[in-house]
Amino acid sequence: MVDLIKTKTIIRILVGIIVIGGGIGYFMYQAMQSSWSYYYSVDDFVANRTAVQSHSLRIAGIVKEGTILRDAKKMNLSFSLTGSDNQILVDYEGTVPDNFAEGGEVVVEGRLNADGIFKADLLMTKCESKYKAKVK
Amino acid sequence: MADLGNFALHLGLFLSSYAVLVDMLGAWRLEHSLMKSGRNATVACLACFTLAMIILWVLLFKCDFAVKYVAEHTSRALPMGYRFSALWAGAAGSLLLWVWLQSGFVAFVFCRKTQKHEKFAAGARVISNLVFVFFLIVLIFDRNPFNLSMITPDDGAGLNPLLQHPAMVLHPPTLFIGYAAFAVPFAWAFSYLKYDRAGNPSPLLPQIRNWILSAWMFLTIGIVLGAWWAYEELGWGGYWAWDPVENSSLMPWLTATALLHCSRTFNRKNSIATWLLTMSIVTYSLCVFGTFLTRYGLVSSVHAFPDPGLGILFLVLLAHIAIISIALFIRSFIQRKDELKTSLTSGLKFIVFFNWLMVLLTFVVLVGTLFPFLSGLVSSRQITLKPEYFTKITAPGGIILLFIIGICPYMLRKSIGVGRRTIGAVIAAVIILAAWAVTRRIAVVCFVTCAFAAINLAADLFERYTKKSKLNLRWLGARIVHIGVVLVFMGMAGSGGYNLEALQALKPGEDMTVGEYKFIYEKLRSEQGANFTAIAADVSVYKISEREERLIAKLSPSKAYYNESKNPTSEVAINRSLGRDVYLALDAIDRDREIARLKVLINPLINWIWIGSTISILGTILVLIALYNKKQSITEIETRINNE
Repeated sequence: MVDLIKTKTIIRILVGIIVIGGGIGYFMYQAMQSSWSYYYSVDDFVANRTAVQSHSLRIAGIVKEGTILRDAKKMNLSFSLTGSDNQILVDYEGTVPDNFAEGGEVVVEGRLNADGIFKADLLMTKCESKYKAKVK
Repeated sequence: MADLGNFALHLGLFLSSYAVLVDMLGAWRLEHSLMKSGRNATVACLACFTLAMIILWVLLFKCDFAVKYVAEHTSRALPMGYRFSALWAGAAGSLLLWVWLQSGFVAFVFCRKTQKHEKFAAGARVISNLVFVFFLIVLIFDRNPFNLSMITPDDGAGLNPLLQHPAMVLHPPTLFIGYAAFAVPFAWAFSYLKYDRAGNPSPLLPQIRNWILSAWMFLTIGIVLGAWWAYEELGWGGYWAWDPVENSSLMPWLTATALLHCSRTFNRKNSIATWLLTMSIVTYSLCVFGTFLTRYGLVSSVHAFPDPGLGILFLVLLAHIAIISIALFIRSFIQRKDELKTSLTSGLKFIVFFNWLMVLLTFVVLVGTLFPFLSGLVSSRQITLKPEYFTKITAPGGIILLFIIGICPYMLRKSIGVGRRTIGAVIAAVIILAAWAVTRRIAVVCFVTCAFAAINLAADLFERYTKKSKLNLRWLGARIVHIGVVLVFMGMAGSGGYNLEALQALKPGEDMTVGEYKFIYEKLRSEQGANFTAIAADVSVYKISEREERLIAKLSPSKAYYNESKNPTSEVAINRSLGRDVYLALDAIDRDREIARLKVLINPLINWIWIGSTISILGTILVLIALYNKKQSITEIETRINNE
């Protein structure tokens, strides 16, 4: 099979792969540097709490019923985010999506502060595919 | 009735499986009766799917809530138009839509009565029907639109108000038309790899070129509609979030653009042919992969509807495609290594470079999208990549793309000497790099490159106009598409690099200033609609200049509470102009104290994205008209390539 492809061609292909691959790899690495974030479920996060405090995190869970508190001037939102066994307290300042509600699946992004409260910069809710409204 | 629909799907599955075997056997043995049977079976499949589609529509219109799909996506109060579009509101219906469209397209191209290239068409049918078998297994046993629910509810859940918008009605079908249409060049590529011979080259090529262009057009329309809807309806002021679901439509689009450029300059003797075949297969595979990503929940996203089920079959299908195509490629390469000797003209070299750019961008987006899954494989922790990762690479990629759009007509111009041309190109590149070094703002670099591309396109048009009096519609259409692309980049640079955002809670009478604009919040007001109540905030918008504050608009963003919904829907208010959008959303309300939290965005040049996209689509339509009128033969194409 090897004699079907000239040695020159093989070398060209290899050099090409190294140059292009290296170049694109470098760019991707650079781009990843400041834009990555750990992604956890609530249970995983609680289990690894001490290990991951320093970096920006994303945590996925469900908004616990009865824990949503909106500040009087509505600039601040706090609620409990639960997994199957654990929960964490989340504090968020910013735009709240319309479909944010009790029992909904959300992803928060931010950092854990010294008091053990998760300070979120970003709050994302799942876009419903099936419209779960009041079915009579 | 639902049972009849279910039966139609089962029959379709049987017929597809039968057609695979019969066509394979017929092509191998060159038995015309077998191939004819395969052809008939494929057409019969189409009939089954058409029947299933009609039945589903009837069920939706009749509000037959015994059928689970109908109950989940419609309600008695839902307007007729949305009952029609509810067919593709969910996974099951949209999969059926895709299967039906694809069946129609495949039958149209490969099941003609007077088939000149019978064996070739049979080969294409084999791979198409194989794909159908996989799709149908998922459709029948996992996501069946005709499943009945245990209890028949009185009324359905209704359609999410967010989806009750014209763009959302058109966005899924246009995307699926694109996906389904790419199955045609996909099947053609397989048959080409197996049956193409020196004495009987490239059957159906002109048709395939037209299909590629049309499919690309629909895919583009679908993506732009999705972005436009996101901007208008979702209230966060942006149009693209690099979400996995969005990326899964972008990736096939990137490879499809490469495919498009290859088909224009197809010559079976050089490497463009290889590119065309590879990109045909890759594009359709990415369409399937994208569906797998979003339905199987491999990566979590705000849009992903993870419900694994039999979605893994898509991955099995992709594995089949990969193995078969690689085997065919190797065989073709061994057989024809002496033929592929023709070297490329400089114009074609640009195309190859462009293709590599598209492939690399696709790879980057793919890795970024799958990163949580990949990182989860190698370490205990999943890592997500934020939008910055994507923009940091695609922005420079886009700049390179713009540069090629400008440089290509320039470098091919024979009126200036080669040496001078190269110097000119280098100077342009230096200016662009200097813009980056000086300003360190990618938006500025984008503008400079846009200007470069625009100047070159204009010069190209001017030169053509002065040289020839006869209008070549196809050439003009293609140039218009590129002009549209330049405008889109201009819009993206303006809105991405120079936008302003502010969020503030105001009492009645208070105001906020963002950039050159002042927003005075007056009061809250109730609005009543047919099936909703809304609370609107009346805001007066003033433009501040040195001498005065001029009232330019009164905007009323609102939150609408639909009867069927427990969540409000934001209705944004936008004051548009060519120069900028003033975008207002009502973020939160305190009714007792009449406090409104307003979100203000100033998006410069953003309308050029929509304008540019429309211009590109119009350009594409012009090219399609020209191609349809001409019905070129292969020799004509090859002559043109040799002359260029």
